[in-house]
Amino acid sequence: MIKNPLLIIIFSIFTFSAFAEDVPIEGTVQSRCIITTDTPGVFGNPNAYTLTTAATDGGVLPVVRYDVTLADAYYAQITTPTSFSSSPTISETITWTGSTEVDAISDATGMASYETNKVTFGQTTQYDLTATGSTWFKSSVSATMGGNKAFPGGTYTAIVEAVCVAQ
Amino acid sequence: MKRLLVTLFFILVASNSLAHDMTPTYPELKPSYMEGLLVADFELLNKRNDVRYYEVAVFDKDWNPIPFVSSYSIFKLEYLERTKFSVYIRNTDRFNAMYVCSKSRSRQDPSPKTIISSTICSKFHGPGK
Repeated sequence: MIKNPLLIIIFSIFTFSAFAEDVPIEGTVQSRCIITTDTPGVFGNPNAYTLTTAATDGGVLPVVRYDVTLADAYYAQITTPTSFSSSPTISETITWTGSTEVDAISDATGMASYETNKVTFGQTTQYDLTATGSTWFKSSVSATMGGNKAFPGGTYTAIVEAVCVAQ
Repeated sequence: MKRLLVTLFFILVASNSLAHDMTPTYPELKPSYMEGLLVADFELLNKRNDVRYYEVAVFDKDWNPIPFVSSYSIFKLEYLERTKFSVYIRNTDRFNAMYVCSKSRSRQDPSPKTIISSTICSKFHGPGK
Protein backbone atom coordinates (compact mmCIF):
# COMPACT_ATOMS: atom_id res chain seq x y z
CA MET A 1 0.00 0.00 0.00
CA ILE A 2 1.35 3.40 -0.93
CA LYS A 3 1.48 5.71 2.00
CA ASN A 4 3.58 8.51 0.68
CA PRO A 5 1.40 11.17 -1.08
CA LEU A 6 4.36 12.16 -3.23
CA LEU A 7 4.53 8.68 -4.71
CA ILE A 8 0.81 8.77 -5.45
CA ILE A 9 1.21 12.03 -7.35
CA ILE A 10 4.14 10.67 -9.34
CA PHE A 11 2.22 7.54 -10.35
CA SER A 12 -0.77 9.66 -11.31
CA ILE A 13 1.34 11.83 -13.60
CA PHE A 14 2.81 8.78 -15.34
CA THR A 15 -0.65 7.28 -15.74
CA PHE A 16 -2.08 10.41 -17.34
CA SER A 17 0.97 10.69 -19.56
CA ALA A 18 0.31 7.24 -20.90
CA PHE A 19 -3.31 7.99 -21.73
CA ALA A 20 -2.34 11.25 -23.40
CA GLU A 21 0.03 9.56 -25.87
CA ASP A 22 -0.83 10.35 -29.50
CA VAL A 23 -0.14 8.12 -32.45
CA PRO A 24 0.86 10.30 -35.36
CA ILE A 25 0.02 9.53 -38.95
CA GLU A 26 2.24 11.48 -41.27
CA GLY A 27 2.09 11.89 -44.97
CA THR A 28 3.49 14.22 -47.56
CA VAL A 29 1.66 15.30 -50.66
CA GLN A 30 4.00 16.03 -53.54
CA SER A 31 3.48 16.82 -57.15
CA ARG A 32 4.18 13.73 -59.17
CA CYS A 33 3.87 11.99 -62.48
CA ILE A 34 3.01 8.31 -62.46
CA ILE A 35 3.35 6.09 -65.51
CA THR A 36 1.11 3.06 -65.57
CA THR A 37 1.17 0.16 -67.97
CA ASP A 38 -2.50 -0.16 -68.73
CA THR A 39 -2.28 -2.74 -71.51
CA PRO A 40 0.90 -4.43 -72.75
CA GLY A 41 0.67 -4.77 -76.50
CA VAL A 42 0.64 -8.00 -78.44
CA PHE A 43 1.82 -8.56 -81.99
CA GLY A 44 -0.59 -10.08 -84.43
CA ASN A 45 0.76 -11.87 -87.49
CA PRO A 46 -1.76 -11.28 -90.30
CA ASN A 47 0.66 -12.56 -92.94
CA ALA A 48 4.11 -14.10 -93.06
CA TYR A 49 5.96 -10.81 -93.41
CA THR A 50 4.08 -8.49 -91.04
CA LEU A 51 3.87 -8.13 -87.29
CA THR A 52 1.41 -5.54 -86.06
CA THR A 53 -0.43 -4.48 -82.93
CA ALA A 54 -3.57 -3.61 -84.92
CA ALA A 55 -6.65 -5.25 -83.44
CA THR A 56 -7.99 -6.07 -86.88
CA ASP A 57 -4.89 -8.19 -87.45
CA GLY A 58 -5.09 -10.05 -84.18
CA GLY A 59 -2.85 -7.72 -82.21
CA VAL A 60 -3.40 -5.65 -79.09
CA LEU A 61 -2.48 -1.97 -78.88
CA PRO A 62 -0.19 -1.10 -75.98
CA VAL A 63 -1.82 1.50 -73.73
CA VAL A 64 0.02 3.57 -71.17
CA ARG A 65 -1.54 5.93 -68.66
CA TYR A 66 -0.04 9.10 -67.22
CA ASP A 67 -1.36 10.47 -63.94
CA VAL A 68 -0.21 13.94 -62.98
CA THR A 69 -1.06 15.99 -59.91
CA LEU A 70 0.38 19.29 -61.10
CA ALA A 71 -0.67 21.06 -64.28
CA ASP A 72 1.87 22.45 -66.76
CA ALA A 73 4.71 20.59 -65.04
CA TYR A 74 5.35 17.54 -67.25
CA TYR A 75 5.83 16.37 -70.80
CA ALA A 76 4.75 12.90 -71.85
CA GLN A 77 7.04 11.43 -74.52
CA ILE A 78 6.14 8.11 -76.06
CA THR A 79 8.48 6.42 -78.50
CA THR A 80 7.49 3.47 -80.64
CA PRO A 81 10.16 0.85 -81.38
CA THR A 82 12.50 0.72 -84.35
CA SER A 83 13.98 -2.66 -83.53
CA PHE A 84 13.15 -5.84 -81.69
CA SER A 85 14.53 -6.19 -78.19
CA SER A 86 14.52 -9.94 -78.69
CA SER A 87 13.88 -11.98 -81.81
CA PRO A 88 15.30 -14.78 -83.90
CA THR A 89 18.20 -13.85 -86.16
CA ILE A 90 16.98 -11.74 -89.09
CA SER A 91 19.13 -10.88 -92.08
CA GLU A 92 16.61 -8.76 -93.97
CA THR A 93 15.84 -5.09 -93.36
CA ILE A 94 12.69 -4.43 -91.38
CA THR A 95 10.49 -1.42 -92.02
CA TRP A 96 8.95 -0.01 -88.85
CA THR A 97 5.94 2.24 -88.60
CA GLY A 98 4.51 3.60 -85.40
CA SER A 99 2.23 6.28 -84.08
CA THR A 100 0.75 7.35 -80.77
CA GLU A 101 -2.54 9.02 -79.99
CA VAL A 102 -4.70 9.90 -77.01
CA ASP A 103 -6.97 7.01 -76.12
CA ALA A 104 -8.92 8.47 -73.20
CA ILE A 105 -8.84 11.44 -70.85
CA SER A 106 -10.15 12.11 -67.36
CA ASP A 107 -10.80 15.82 -67.95
CA ALA A 108 -12.76 16.43 -71.12
CA THR A 109 -12.25 20.18 -70.89
CA GLY A 110 -8.66 20.56 -69.79
CA MET A 111 -7.25 17.75 -71.92
CA ALA A 112 -9.30 18.17 -75.08
CA SER A 113 -6.44 19.82 -76.94
CA TYR A 114 -3.80 17.20 -76.16
CA GLU A 115 -4.17 15.38 -79.46
CA THR A 116 -4.19 18.48 -81.64
CA ASN A 117 -1.25 20.04 -79.80
CA LYS A 118 0.99 16.97 -79.84
CA VAL A 119 4.44 17.23 -81.38
CA THR A 120 5.95 14.31 -83.29
CA PHE A 121 9.64 13.94 -84.01
CA GLY A 122 10.84 10.69 -85.51
CA GLN A 123 9.18 7.83 -83.65
CA THR A 124 8.55 10.01 -80.59
CA THR A 125 5.32 11.82 -79.81
CA GLN A 126 5.34 14.51 -77.15
CA TYR A 127 2.35 15.82 -75.23
CA ASP A 128 2.32 18.85 -72.95
CA LEU A 129 0.37 17.73 -69.88
CA THR A 130 -1.39 20.99 -69.13
CA ALA A 131 -4.04 19.61 -66.81
CA THR A 132 -4.11 17.42 -63.73
CA GLY A 133 -5.61 13.96 -64.01
CA SER A 134 -5.15 10.84 -66.09
CA THR A 135 -4.50 10.44 -69.78
CA TRP A 136 -4.37 7.15 -71.68
CA PHE A 137 -2.19 6.93 -74.76
CA LYS A 138 -2.24 4.08 -77.27
CA SER A 139 0.49 3.26 -79.74
CA SER A 140 0.27 1.44 -83.03
CA VAL A 141 3.35 -0.50 -84.07
CA SER A 142 3.98 -2.43 -87.26
CA ALA A 143 7.05 -4.25 -88.53
CA THR A 144 7.31 -5.45 -92.13
CA MET A 145 10.03 -7.71 -93.40
CA GLY A 146 11.90 -6.45 -96.45
CA GLY A 147 11.13 -8.06 -99.80
CA ASN A 148 7.94 -9.51 -98.36
CA LYS A 149 9.98 -12.37 -96.95
CA ALA A 150 8.61 -14.34 -94.06
CA PHE A 151 9.59 -13.69 -90.48
CA PRO A 152 11.51 -16.69 -89.12
CA GLY A 153 9.61 -18.67 -86.53
CA GLY A 154 10.24 -17.57 -82.96
CA THR A 155 9.31 -14.98 -80.40
CA TYR A 156 9.46 -11.27 -81.14
CA THR A 157 9.49 -8.56 -78.50
CA ALA A 158 9.73 -4.79 -78.93
CA ILE A 159 9.74 -1.97 -76.41
CA VAL A 160 7.55 1.13 -76.33
CA GLU A 161 9.24 3.82 -74.26
CA ALA A 162 7.03 6.02 -72.10
CA VAL A 163 8.82 8.96 -70.55
CA CYS A 164 7.52 11.64 -68.18
CA VAL A 165 9.84 14.66 -68.02
CA ALA A 166 9.48 17.51 -65.59
CA GLN A 167 9.24 20.86 -67.41
CA MET B 1 -12.96 20.70 -55.92
CA LYS B 2 -14.75 18.28 -58.20
CA ARG B 3 -11.69 18.12 -60.47
CA LEU B 4 -9.45 17.42 -57.46
CA LEU B 5 -11.71 14.56 -56.37
CA VAL B 6 -11.72 13.11 -59.87
CA THR B 7 -7.92 13.37 -59.95
CA LEU B 8 -7.57 11.66 -56.57
CA PHE B 9 -9.98 8.95 -57.69
CA PHE B 10 -7.94 8.18 -60.78
CA ILE B 11 -4.69 8.19 -58.80
CA LEU B 12 -6.17 5.78 -56.25
CA VAL B 13 -7.35 3.56 -59.08
CA ALA B 14 -3.88 3.80 -60.60
CA SER B 15 -2.35 2.53 -57.39
CA ASN B 16 -3.87 -0.86 -58.10
CA SER B 17 -2.16 -1.30 -61.43
CA LEU B 18 1.31 -1.33 -62.95
CA ALA B 19 2.79 2.02 -62.05
CA HIS B 20 6.21 3.61 -61.78
CA ASP B 21 6.55 6.55 -59.41
CA MET B 22 9.50 8.76 -58.48
CA THR B 23 9.47 11.91 -56.36
CA PRO B 24 10.19 14.76 -55.97
CA THR B 25 9.52 16.38 -59.32
CA TYR B 26 11.77 19.31 -58.50
CA PRO B 27 14.57 18.08 -56.20
CA GLU B 28 16.78 20.43 -54.26
CA LEU B 29 20.55 20.21 -54.42
CA LYS B 30 22.08 20.60 -50.97
CA PRO B 31 25.64 20.55 -49.66
CA SER B 32 26.64 17.04 -48.65
CA TYR B 33 28.98 15.80 -45.94
CA MET B 34 31.63 15.41 -48.64
CA GLU B 35 33.41 18.56 -49.66
CA GLY B 36 32.82 19.46 -53.30
CA LEU B 37 29.74 17.25 -53.64
CA LEU B 38 26.09 18.20 -53.64
CA VAL B 39 23.29 15.81 -52.83
CA ALA B 40 19.63 15.45 -53.72
CA ASP B 41 17.23 12.95 -52.21
CA PHE B 42 14.65 10.87 -54.08
CA GLU B 43 12.08 8.22 -53.46
CA LEU B 44 11.26 5.46 -55.91
CA LEU B 45 8.20 3.24 -55.73
CA ASN B 46 7.71 0.13 -57.82
CA LYS B 47 4.06 -0.62 -58.48
CA ARG B 48 4.84 -2.53 -61.65
CA ASN B 49 4.65 -6.23 -60.96
CA ASP B 50 6.34 -6.90 -64.31
CA VAL B 51 9.48 -4.92 -63.41
CA ARG B 52 12.12 -5.53 -60.73
CA TYR B 53 14.95 -3.23 -61.78
CA TYR B 54 15.21 0.52 -62.22
CA GLU B 55 18.25 2.36 -63.54
CA VAL B 56 19.05 5.87 -62.36
CA ALA B 57 20.98 8.43 -64.41
CA VAL B 58 21.70 12.16 -64.43
CA PHE B 59 21.64 14.29 -67.58
CA ASP B 60 22.27 17.87 -68.65
CA LYS B 61 19.77 19.94 -70.62
CA ASP B 62 20.84 18.26 -73.87
CA TRP B 63 20.50 14.80 -72.36
CA ASN B 64 24.24 14.20 -72.14
CA PRO B 65 25.12 12.04 -69.13
CA ILE B 66 26.52 13.77 -66.04
CA PRO B 67 28.76 11.82 -63.64
CA PHE B 68 27.07 11.03 -60.36
CA VAL B 69 27.31 8.72 -57.40
CA SER B 70 24.52 6.85 -55.72
CA SER B 71 24.27 3.74 -53.62
CA TYR B 72 23.40 1.84 -56.81
CA SER B 73 22.91 2.85 -60.40
CA ILE B 74 20.45 -0.02 -60.82
CA PHE B 75 18.02 -0.61 -57.99
CA LYS B 76 16.28 -3.89 -57.45
CA LEU B 77 12.79 -3.27 -56.16
CA GLU B 78 10.21 -5.93 -55.52
CA TYR B 79 6.60 -5.24 -56.39
CA LEU B 80 5.21 -2.48 -54.13
CA GLU B 81 8.64 -1.90 -52.61
CA ARG B 82 9.76 1.65 -51.96
CA THR B 83 13.29 2.96 -51.62
CA LYS B 84 14.88 6.26 -50.77
CA PHE B 85 18.15 7.13 -52.41
CA SER B 86 20.54 10.04 -52.72
CA VAL B 87 22.29 11.27 -55.82
CA TYR B 88 25.62 13.02 -55.41
CA ILE B 89 27.02 15.28 -58.10
CA ARG B 90 30.10 17.46 -58.22
CA ASN B 91 29.74 21.06 -57.22
CA THR B 92 31.16 22.01 -60.60
CA ASP B 93 28.22 20.25 -62.29
CA ARG B 94 25.57 22.02 -60.26
CA PHE B 95 24.47 24.26 -63.14
CA ASN B 96 24.85 21.56 -65.80
CA ALA B 97 22.91 18.79 -64.12
CA MET B 98 19.29 19.16 -65.19
CA TYR B 99 17.48 15.82 -65.07
CA VAL B 100 17.57 12.80 -62.80
CA CYS B 101 15.76 9.90 -64.42
CA SER B 102 14.75 6.44 -63.30
CA LYS B 103 14.09 3.95 -66.08
CA SER B 104 12.49 0.54 -65.80
CA ARG B 105 14.66 -2.32 -66.98
CA SER B 106 12.81 -5.31 -68.34
CA ARG B 107 13.95 -8.88 -68.49
CA GLN B 108 13.55 -10.95 -71.59
CA ASP B 109 10.11 -12.38 -71.94
CA PRO B 110 9.28 -15.30 -74.24
CA SER B 111 5.81 -14.05 -75.15
CA PRO B 112 5.37 -12.12 -78.43
CA LYS B 113 4.48 -8.61 -77.34
CA THR B 114 5.47 -5.01 -76.93
CA ILE B 115 6.93 -4.22 -73.53
CA ILE B 116 6.34 -0.75 -72.11
CA SER B 117 9.46 0.83 -70.70
CA SER B 118 8.73 3.66 -68.26
CA THR B 119 11.03 6.56 -67.44
CA ILE B 120 10.36 9.38 -65.00
CA CYS B 121 12.64 12.40 -64.97
CA SER B 122 12.84 14.91 -62.15
CA LYS B 123 14.32 18.30 -62.86
CA PHE B 124 16.79 20.46 -60.99
CA HIS B 125 16.31 24.18 -61.34
CA GLY B 126 12.53 23.88 -61.55
CA PRO B 127 10.14 26.79 -61.92
CA GLY B 128 11.45 29.88 -60.14
CA LYS B 129 14.90 28.40 -59.50
